[in-house]
Amino acid sequence: MQNGLTRRGFLIGCPLGAAAAGLAGCGRTAAARPRSPVDITRATAYSQDIYDTMRRVLASHKLNVRGRRVVLKPNLVEFEPGSVINTHPMLVHATLEAFRELGASVAIAEGPGHRRSTLDLADAAGYFQTIPGFEDIFTDLNLDEISRVRLARPVSRLRSLYLPHTVLASDLLVSMPKMKTHHWAGATLSMKNLFGIVPGGVYGWPKNVLHWAGIHQSIADLHTLFPNHFAIVDGIVGMDGNGPIQGQPKAAGVIVSGPDPVAVDATCCRIMQIEPARIDYLTLAGGLEGIAEENIRQIGEKLETVETRFELIMELRELRRTRA
Amino acid sequence: MACPTVQLIAFLEGLPILEIDSGALENIRAAQNPDGGWPYRRGGSWTEPTVYALLAHQAGLTTAPRSAETLAWLCAAQQPDGGWTPRPSVDQSTWVTALVALLPPETIGAARHARAVKWLLGVSGMESSPLLRLSVFLRDGKLPDAPDLNGWPWFPGTAAWVTPTCLGVLALKKCYWRQPSTDLRERIDQAQTFLLARRCADGGWNHGSARALGYNSDSYPETTGQALLALAGRDPAKLEAGFRLAQRFLREQRSAAGAAWLRLGLLAHQQLPADIPLATMPCRTLPDTALTFLAAAAEQGCNVFLE
Repeated sequence: MQNGLTRRGFLIGCPLGAAAAGLAGCGRTAAARPRSPVDITRATAYSQDIYDTMRRVLASHKLNVRGRRVVLKPNLVEFEPGSVINTHPMLVHATLEAFRELGASVAIAEGPGHRRSTLDLADAAGYFQTIPGFEDIFTDLNLDEISRVRLARPVSRLRSLYLPHTVLASDLLVSMPKMKTHHWAGATLSMKNLFGIVPGGVYGWPKNVLHWAGIHQSIADLHTLFPNHFAIVDGIVGMDGNGPIQGQPKAAGVIVSGPDPVAVDATCCRIMQIEPARIDYLTLAGGLEGIAEENIRQIGEKLETVETRFELIMELRELRRTRA
Repeated sequence: MACPTVQLIAFLEGLPILEIDSGALENIRAAQNPDGGWPYRRGGSWTEPTVYALLAHQAGLTTAPRSAETLAWLCAAQQPDGGWTPRPSVDQSTWVTALVALLPPETIGAARHARAVKWLLGVSGMESSPLLRLSVFLRDGKLPDAPDLNGWPWFPGTAAWVTPTCLGVLALKKCYWRQPSTDLRERIDQAQTFLLARRCADGGWNHGSARALGYNSDSYPETTGQALLALAGRDPAKLEAGFRLAQRFLREQRSAAGAAWLRLGLLAHQQLPADIPLATMPCRTLPDTALTFLAAAAEQGCNVFLE
């Protein structure tokens, strides 16, 4: 039940996006590589201003989503209201409103990796309070209808995966992670957030098949399964140290977005002062060319003005980026 | 299907049978799909909510509606290897086999039930695999966890975790009480040892990772309740910290399923305080409703997980 639409279909009328379309693939490189657009927008607080900010962010990408089914996929991890573990509900609501204003039909969906009571988790994280009618537009991806999708050229040990219909039937999947360090993957951003698509109802909590198939390799495989994947990273207040659960709040004051998740995540790493070339899933999915600064067209704030040192636990210190 | 303890109490005390929330049972019945199975919330039927719905009916001393369709639906999800799939469109036996094995054998037929138990006895977390242990030894120079830790995975070919291990223990215990055997006893002991080894520093349980890269992880209410239930009969002195944590979690009330598992777990050790408030969290899924009902039934003396 693989969706036939690709990222390209959404970027008609968007010269930067059209140039980026179809680039993300396992290690693929192009002779004359178009530059992937990545927008960095400053946002220092979860306030009412964020609604206007998200309108401007989407406008900067010139997305053509009128009449399309858009699924926002935040990152819900733990029952900690007021903490920085989960994607902030106000950012999700602002994004939902902005997509609706562009004429899209918008749903929210997530399948947490450890906790089973997804709606209770969303409630505790403030989603019910912030987003009117939340329960009506939300799907627990752990318990959704499913179909098996075969991986054409897997880099992990996976050969197929059961995946939820809500996501497979979407025209545009918008991954909305929190900008966090991750004690196994290095950094958890828009691509790692796709773990939440894999249904716990089949694979369990945690989705341990992905770990046994190789964490980085599984992330790369999920990336190839969703070419209609747009990234919006919540870096207003992220998490550093022992992320993705036990770390400390880290204000980066940015929202990072774009149609090429590899380029977006590589840019986030640079903001966090992590070397993207040392994050295996990024090189597996995009190759060194896909994450190279010269192949990313920065929109909005300049990278060097928003760089924020995210502290790394001892085991991850080799990921630290050092400028030449 | 009758719960003997409740029937006996009702008979001796002249009470109407099981005065637990009949509205919950009505809600469960109303959620049944035409195919006889139950969905988590809406949509297609899944094995897990279907089993919980049947267990709730068992505790409520009644039979589920469309029982012929239910049986046919449930049997269609059994694989040739004897295990059960989460739903018929999935072709792999998984953790839900333990749930089905919790049902009385007569529900699905003794032969089908026996094959499910055989499947359970043949499945372990990958960390127990001799080949994997050898490869870890060759890589690290030391063997991983002792081989007497033998839990169950969610999905075959992966590691063992707390929830499927708890369900496996509960299912095998019921089998053992019906027909004791050395195989069952050994596996129950190994799985309980696994659970004790995966306890978090705070005395409770999370999904099964007590420490990561040297950092202690926190426990969850649901898994703490499940583990206490699966460890019924073990030395309570060794579970004291778990009792205190479970009681604290129960006062915090974060999810209906969490509260239900905590009640079931504490009841199994006679550690449920009298002043615990009634469940207040909304039941948002069929398992929430069924587990809340099952916990209430257990408080009245009918614990379908332990009888």
